[in-house]
Amino acid sequence: MLRIRNMNDLVVGGLLIAVALLALALAARLAGGSATSMGPGYVPRLICFLQIAIGIAIVLRGLAVDGARSVAWSFRPLLWILVSVAFFALTIERLGLVLSIFGLVMLSTLGHPRPRLVSAILLGLFMAAFSVAVFVLALGLPMLVWPAALMR
Amino acid sequence: MLEGFASGLLIAAQPDNLLYCLIGALVGTLVGVLPGIGSIAAVAMLLPITFYLQPTSALIMLAGIYYGAQYGSSTTAILVNIPGENSSIVTCLDGYQLARQGRAGPALAIAALASLFAGFFATGFIAVFAPPLAEFALLFGPAEYFSLMVLGLLAAIVLAQGSILKALGVIMLGLLLASVGTDVESGAARLTLGIPELADGIGIVPMAMGIFGVGEIIKNLENPSDRQILSQRFGKLWPTRDDFRRCWLVVVRSTALGSALGLLPGGGSVLSAFAAYSLEKRLARDPQRFGRGAVEGVAAPESANNAGAQTSFIPLLTLGIPSNGVIALMAGAMMVHGVQPGPQMMSKNPDIFWGLIASMLIGNIMLVIINLPLIRIWVLLLKVPYHLFYPMILVFCCIGVYTLNNSTFEVMLLLVFGLVGYAFIKWECEPAPLLLAFVLGPMIEENLRRAMQLSFGDPLTFIKRPISASLLALATGLLVMLLLPAFQRTREVALKEDD
Repeated sequence: MLRIRNMNDLVVGGLLIAVALLALALAARLAGGSATSMGPGYVPRLICFLQIAIGIAIVLRGLAVDGARSVAWSFRPLLWILVSVAFFALTIERLGLVLSIFGLVMLSTLGHPRPRLVSAILLGLFMAAFSVAVFVLALGLPMLVWPAALMR
Repeated sequence: MLEGFASGLLIAAQPDNLLYCLIGALVGTLVGVLPGIGSIAAVAMLLPITFYLQPTSALIMLAGIYYGAQYGSSTTAILVNIPGENSSIVTCLDGYQLARQGRAGPALAIAALASLFAGFFATGFIAVFAPPLAEFALLFGPAEYFSLMVLGLLAAIVLAQGSILKALGVIMLGLLLASVGTDVESGAARLTLGIPELADGIGIVPMAMGIFGVGEIIKNLENPSDRQILSQRFGKLWPTRDDFRRCWLVVVRSTALGSALGLLPGGGSVLSAFAAYSLEKRLARDPQRFGRGAVEGVAAPESANNAGAQTSFIPLLTLGIPSNGVIALMAGAMMVHGVQPGPQMMSKNPDIFWGLIASMLIGNIMLVIINLPLIRIWVLLLKVPYHLFYPMILVFCCIGVYTLNNSTFEVMLLLVFGLVGYAFIKWECEPAPLLLAFVLGPMIEENLRRAMQLSFGDPLTFIKRPISASLLALATGLLVMLLLPAFQRTREVALKEDD
């Protein structure tokens, strides 16, 4: 009977296959061309086939060979760091650099197992001022500093 | 060659280039000293700034980060027993023991001086060997290039830690990601999901920063420990005569070994440091001393990693093929500036070629000054706790990526690749081959297509041409060797040897 011996292998192999299948579907409409004059779809498909083959090999190994125990994910830092980056992406063109950076720092601090509120606020203020000074005032990069609504 | 080098020195000694060399060395030392941020992330963070610079200045600065990090990381390894950079993992073993014996000063000095010697030697090595290699590479046609890049990718796997199959899969994924965007020949949009921002392909900066910057932060936050800096007093800085007597031969040998290993695709500083340490331990009359505070145990990896970091520029400058992640980013920076890395660089852009090489000489001198007399400043920086440090890196990553094209989409890409980077760590996939394959991808495809066109669709062209055939034979040999169980075992031992 088949037994999962290495969860990591199964996941990695499975994902490689899935991504390759998705790419094959996306590339379905691209012209393949011939070996002499390859179209835009030729090489991507070639890569996908190789990737699927390797993915299958990894899955099979995951069923055949014992591997190290897979390590648990820490969702707290993962969530808050990604949320803080997303916050920056969503607010930089609406709220401006100052609020966006402040929010980024505050949200990312929550990813630490022992967040410190006061030092986070101070750091947020400092980084916001620093970013404006360096990137806007010194380097002259075109960025919104304060919320767009206020600037009108 | 001497003329070229002399003209390069003149270029590197121009005031603005000196300034950027210094900035690179400072930033390199900084990221080297600080654990939790590596040179790939640092180069990716500074990449947007280099777009405003002259190409020569830009490359001088980025190169300074890479070899500067080799200097800085030894400080943390010796004082805190944490490698600032992977290439100093072995330096911890003896360096920290020396520090515990109250000899941190001499350990730091030996690390810096060994690096300086290695830096000088490696610069000369590049100046001597790069030109003939570049001339040889001029004989290469598309078929040879294709075979060479396949060999390079496979060689990168040898040095990747962990499973070979997974590394192969990661390379395929990198190639696939590289094919996203507009096809150069037909103009067709490939795998873009209809997102207009993807028409130019996936950006290398959000990718590298996400995987090596953001992903790393998430991992470090799993269990952030406060660093213990061992001693405030370093003892006398200058090593004793006995230290010098023990070390000089070790430094010469390790530099030579590091220089050679830096040439390998996938090689560079990390491999060189490991190899030099185990070699010296084997050659030592009294191997027992290693791991208990032997000065040789600091001298060997520190000279080898700096030599390896510098000679890993040779494949890029002569063949146009980046051999590791940092160099891959440098290749990206060159292309942004319209400089095609490769054999033509020496004749087409001699200023950049020789200016970059000569700047390494200057940079190494700067680094010794930055690292020895100013050591106390770096120790102060080490005291910045991680809970203040990582939000700063995030801010720089986000602003850096955003200002590239004023694109919030790329910031979202940063997020995606941050997740990918963390997942790679959890699934024990080495991420460096992904970056390498991603950079080589377009070149591999272009050369494959051209070679097949020239041969009228005959794939045998890759074996009919002698240079290409021998490169492919090497690649096949490597692959067979990789899959042999006996070799797998020795490789695991070699990559894990740190006891």
